[in-house]
Amino acid sequence: MLEGLKRLTGNIRNLRLGTTVATNAILERRGARVGYVTTKGFRDVPFIQRGNRKFHYDASWVKPKPLMKRRDCFELDERMMADGSVLRPVDEAEVLAMAEDIKAAGGVDSLAVNLLFSYVTPDHEIAVRDILAKALPDTPISISYEVLPKWKEYERASTTIADAFVKPIVSRYLNDLGTRLGERGGIENVAIIKSNGGEMTTAAAADTPIHMTVSGPTGGVVAARHIAAQLGVGNLVTFDMGGTSTDCSTIVDGQESFTTNFEIEFGVPIQVPMIDIRTIGAGGGSIAWIDKGGMLRVGPESAGANPGPACYGFGGTRPTVTDANVILGRISPDNFLGGTMTLDVAQARSAMETIATPLGLGVEETAMAIVRIVTNNMTGALRSVLTERGLDPRDFSLLAFGGAGALHAADLMGEASIPSAVVPNHPGQFSAFGFIMTDARVDLERTVQMTSNRFDLDRANEVMNQLVTDALGNLKAQGYDTGLSVTRTLELRYLGQNYELEVPVSFETFDADTVGTAWAAFHDQHKARFGFNIPREVIEVITFKVTAVSARETPKLPTLAKNDGPPEPTARRQVHYEEGPLETAVFDRAALGDGDVIAGPALIEEPASVTVLRPDQNLTVDSYGNMIIRNN
Amino acid sequence: MGTSKATDFVTMNIIESSMISACREMGITLMKTSYSTIFNEALDFTCGIASADGKMWAVAEFCPAQIGGMPLIISSSLKEIPLDTINPGDVIVHNDPYRGGLHTPEHTLFCPVFVDDQLVAFTVAIGHVAEVGGMVPGGFASEATEIFHEGIRVPPVKIKKRGEDVEEVWKLWLANVRTPRYNYGDMRALISGVEVGAERLGQIISKYGVTEFRKICADLMDYSEARMRAEIRDLPDGAYAFHDFMDNDGVTDEEIRINVECFIQDDEIVVDFEGSSPQVGGPINATLGVTWSAAYNALLHLTDPSIPKNSGCFRPIRVLAPAGTVVNVDYPAPEVGGNTETHPRIAGAVIGALASASPDRAFASEGGTHLNFVFGGQDKANDEYFACYDIEVVGWGATPHSDGNDATDSINGNCRVTPVEVFETRYPWLTEEISLIADSGGAGATRGGLGTRRIWKCLDAEITCSQLTDRHVNQAWGLNGGASGTSGMTLYQAAGSSDWQNMMQAFGKNSTSKWSNVVIKPGDRVEIVTPGGGGYGDPATRESSAVKEDLLEGYITADHAHADYGRTAEGD
Repeated sequence: MLEGLKRLTGNIRNLRLGTTVATNAILERRGARVGYVTTKGFRDVPFIQRGNRKFHYDASWVKPKPLMKRRDCFELDERMMADGSVLRPVDEAEVLAMAEDIKAAGGVDSLAVNLLFSYVTPDHEIAVRDILAKALPDTPISISYEVLPKWKEYERASTTIADAFVKPIVSRYLNDLGTRLGERGGIENVAIIKSNGGEMTTAAAADTPIHMTVSGPTGGVVAARHIAAQLGVGNLVTFDMGGTSTDCSTIVDGQESFTTNFEIEFGVPIQVPMIDIRTIGAGGGSIAWIDKGGMLRVGPESAGANPGPACYGFGGTRPTVTDANVILGRISPDNFLGGTMTLDVAQARSAMETIATPLGLGVEETAMAIVRIVTNNMTGALRSVLTERGLDPRDFSLLAFGGAGALHAADLMGEASIPSAVVPNHPGQFSAFGFIMTDARVDLERTVQMTSNRFDLDRANEVMNQLVTDALGNLKAQGYDTGLSVTRTLELRYLGQNYELEVPVSFETFDADTVGTAWAAFHDQHKARFGFNIPREVIEVITFKVTAVSARETPKLPTLAKNDGPPEPTARRQVHYEEGPLETAVFDRAALGDGDVIAGPALIEEPASVTVLRPDQNLTVDSYGNMIIRNN
Repeated sequence: MGTSKATDFVTMNIIESSMISACREMGITLMKTSYSTIFNEALDFTCGIASADGKMWAVAEFCPAQIGGMPLIISSSLKEIPLDTINPGDVIVHNDPYRGGLHTPEHTLFCPVFVDDQLVAFTVAIGHVAEVGGMVPGGFASEATEIFHEGIRVPPVKIKKRGEDVEEVWKLWLANVRTPRYNYGDMRALISGVEVGAERLGQIISKYGVTEFRKICADLMDYSEARMRAEIRDLPDGAYAFHDFMDNDGVTDEEIRINVECFIQDDEIVVDFEGSSPQVGGPINATLGVTWSAAYNALLHLTDPSIPKNSGCFRPIRVLAPAGTVVNVDYPAPEVGGNTETHPRIAGAVIGALASASPDRAFASEGGTHLNFVFGGQDKANDEYFACYDIEVVGWGATPHSDGNDATDSINGNCRVTPVEVFETRYPWLTEEISLIADSGGAGATRGGLGTRRIWKCLDAEITCSQLTDRHVNQAWGLNGGASGTSGMTLYQAAGSSDWQNMMQAFGKNSTSKWSNVVIKPGDRVEIVTPGGGGYGDPATRESSAVKEDLLEGYITADHAHADYGRTAEGD
């Protein structure tokens, strides 16, 4: 990445970076040696975790280890209660003695402090942090109240430990980056993309690096929000299909969907607010194979970039999804990556034969079967962001991007019951396009549990106002002080339930009247989401949430001219569909103009992508160049 | 392409994953709307799809204990509610162990799916409802001597007819439980789950047509059967025996034998429990459904985990369980612990028996209990009764390739422990410790996983507690020279005292592990120690780097390194 910066040319003033440096440090267990400080009696919480297994019937599964050693755990004899009262206060002498133990242990790079019930009252954690910071001035400290002030001690521990684990490595990375950019000169602002799709300064990133854990795929979703506005539609489901994985997310009523329920791998939760993106390990490079019972399966194993699909001619001998698309005529062997790479159809066919023969099918039939299975797997991914969250696919449009998204969008529309699809400009670089559209964004939330029958208006106002002050203060401290806006949300549930629905709060102050509108909105939402509500039931407030945004200047996008006549195909070739082989017109996307209409079957080619139009579909080009596919 | 063999496989792949996706959606609805922590934190439920004649077509991975029992529950219910009396919009509820069920807390809800006026399938949700009435709050009446002590029995009845609640059933049920508000929420969640599933499944079936859909599901079961037969064929023919013991039944202080002999011939296996103890007076008897489930569970652990789970898997497996024994109990004996405690003992015995036939997949015994600590009392703040079913986790057995996992739920569940911060917000306990227990994993070339210790102090209300656990006397066995894990225990300390006693000493109970209705007062403490897992292989052959790391991390003590591994305090 740093090397790549050297190749950047021209007059660049602003740079926004999405980076996997934090993600990779966690996945590869290459981070700091973390000391874990917690309440007496609870040092094993990160080891015990939640006790469930990843697989039911596989005893060879090994439970993930936390990101620090058990010998680096330190306990303090303090205790906060569920109601915020203090059972045992923090003893400064004990903390100082612990600091000596940490020094004596030698080699501890950073500290994660997670005390029970710190989300109710952070006083103990803050006191411990202040004492430790004086005693160990060179050791970065993450406290759970600042990283994730929400209940459930394991999830909070895991997130806080991860923050401390990546902090030194991220600091070094950002320092290097600053040096390199300084050498290059000319760049005035560098911002880091957060997992919530907003940007932050490099200083803020170094302070709480956990917020950059899932920054990469967020760009496509932020870009999708802008496309939705451009198209004048509220709901989009994003379908970002690459070589080895596919990301799906949603724009609902013009807004991205967020989650705090993320696990970077099974059993390792990282629960800071982030864009809710579901990833499945399937893409163009996924390998098709036959299982022991004779069933055709696709993925999760991938040919990756090396050897890559058989048609690349780099030595791959197993058939992939890309090979299937070449055999079906959907990908042109002569016009791949804008013609810079010629694909080997014979290799693709001979790889396909290795499974076609045992299946008793022809090569094309096998390729079509692979596409059907991929379509179904992708439908599963779309269901996980739509129906599993109570959203009706018929209310959505499919936004297809990534190298392989546009190839499969047409098939997916039917299988997933989505009435239209959109292929944006430059689908292969769409995520990067999102990065130039980001705002600075801070999401803060805190668990403060109370119930509707004994709702403490003063406490509610105090908590929400503090979050607003902190969120705006965070933005301003980073220098983001223009175009500010704030939204407030409550997470509510029926007393007894364990999962919440998010209810937006349009008012600034809780009083007897306004709070009633929140309860009513919850009952309505529960009915809409789950098919029933319990009208007289007590409602429990779990989390107060605030989002503060500083809107950034976004570039004005060019529009397309109209063509004089209807678009002319550049070629015709035979392409296989579920209906069988059909003579198909091929168009060059670069030649399309505003308002052009193409009837299926057709292919629209561009340098890093191909759009397939089925025989029962048509496509319209809008004034920005987006291609919109509809069923006839 | 409609008729060729391969196309069937493609459509089968698609229909199977669509059905699992529908089951997942049911599960998410259940998790998000239910009230009991055993439901929504522990996830003690299962969602599946059954044919109109009760065969299981698909199931999502939630709680494995309930999977093998699903076909029997549906087919038993249909004997009392004939198919031609089931209408669109009906929802049936059932929990009766003596009508094919597993135990009284486990409620099965199912909903018919009609396409083209034909009843094609049922969507099924089985969930553990924490409070069911009976002699103790929280459902585990460990001193029960008949089924009537174990809470309200619900024979298969419609709780909804043509989309409308059957008020009489609701009234009758809610009048017989201690926490009607919670029970109402849990039942609503179960109903909502099967209804969501039915809507989704209806769409899937309509897309393919009833005839094609049924054919594909039949093919799918044949496919799973063929996969299972291929796995069994890979095991050497022969007879393989094993036995294990339950500590006692809570009534009489006598060991209870689980005896099994497995006969493998070509691609079939007979699992014969002849020689197991006669049924007992206390509540650890297993119904036939539990024993089937446990035997299937063991075999699914010893075969390829990727085989689609449906009734076809079970065709090459024949389970023989003599009536009137602890593995096939006759009415009206109590049986609530059969599903949680006896199931892992049965499954473990089958795995132990087949260890020499399947040396690469077999593993040493896991702790084999869910600890089942239940309690109830008055919630002062909300002026209502509360009841809670708490599970704890155990050490798992070592495998030929790796140490047993620490602190993991027993083999027939896949439950999560409830966070301390959620627990203390809801219940008047102070948690003083939750920790791993050094030296609790059985020594071996690979080590057994560690059990846990939890200490609670009662805060400001009287709490009525009961427990139904096991492995206080016996231990999780090791394999191939590996040592056993340590036993569990439950201790009590009265307010102001420094003495810890077990429940026999403190309250004159018949068993340390199975006791009912002990009233814990403010300032009293309870300590729950869970069993460690068994080790695998000769401890003398354990890599010294692994012993050293265990010492550094405090998983074993220097004494244990010396006594059980023959190493120095540094691990050499």
